[in-house]
Amino acid sequence: MDCRAARMNIEAKADGLLPREAEGELAGHLAGCPACAAEDAAISATGPALRALTGIRAVGKGPALDAMWTRVRAGIEEGRAARRRPSWIARWVWIPAAAALAVLAFLFYPAGTDRSPFHPSTFDVAVEDIESDVATVALVDKGEDLPRVIWIIEDAKT
Amino acid sequence: MPRRKPQARLVGPTLPFLGLLLLALLAAVSSEAAETVTVDVGAIYASNEGTSIDPALGTIREKLRSMFNYTSYKMLDRKRRSLSVGETGEFELPGRRTMRATLLPAQGDKIRLSIQISEGARKLLTTTLGLRRGGMVLVGGPSHQAGVLILIISAE
Repeated sequence: MDCRAARMNIEAKADGLLPREAEGELAGHLAGCPACAAEDAAISATGPALRALTGIRAVGKGPALDAMWTRVRAGIEEGRAARRRPSWIARWVWIPAAAALAVLAFLFYPAGTDRSPFHPSTFDVAVEDIESDVATVALVDKGEDLPRVIWIIEDAKT
Repeated sequence: MPRRKPQARLVGPTLPFLGLLLLALLAAVSSEAAETVTVDVGAIYASNEGTSIDPALGTIREKLRSMFNYTSYKMLDRKRRSLSVGETGEFELPGRRTMRATLLPAQGDKIRLSIQISEGARKLLTTTLGLRRGGMVLVGGPSHQAGVLILIISAE
């Protein structure tokens, strides 16, 4: 193995990609080549150093990250609560809707028919004129508490 | 600073507007109701077939029984028309008869109705009535099946 191939294998080893069968060959080269051995030592030390540095920085920013996560969590909870709570419009919109429905029912209720019983308030009726082309007509008045009756007598049948 | 939701901003001014709209609508309806008269015509078949009296006749049942000698009273039809002054409403009656009612001008709470009852081309009755709101008059006599028709005409 020459130094160029050894450098590539050193990088592969640092990345954990070096095949097991190549490790022995690399170790043999490193034993006989101080320059490659120094390169291997330097690269092998880089990984732990980077992990240690990242850990230190994470520890330093821990409180800030905690505060940010708390805000994010509070926002999520607020959103959930707003979805569960009926909105102002949903709570009160039925009032104008019900009023509009009542007015529409009043306006468009079929007035052509009525099945409610008769409850007259007065029988005070004036008959200004009365006539018939084909029958005899009689006006019958039996008192104030009874309705006036116009009776049509057709051919003396009724 | 808390922000108002867009829905609340929209509904806030809309609700009073809707209320005013409804009030205006109700005022228009009540004004129209004051200028119109509802004529109610019930066609009763009076006969001596059976002894039943239609419950739909309400308080008028006892009065019919005390005024006439029939034993059975059955309401065949009932129609209502809302009329304004000068307007004529037509009511179809049993036995191919028709009644035309025209609302005439009147003073105060009086109601004046011109009534014409026809059977085909024959004019059975022509009359002009003056009633109070809620008043009632009966028109009877035209033969129907084994008895007679009695019309209950009321206006309010």
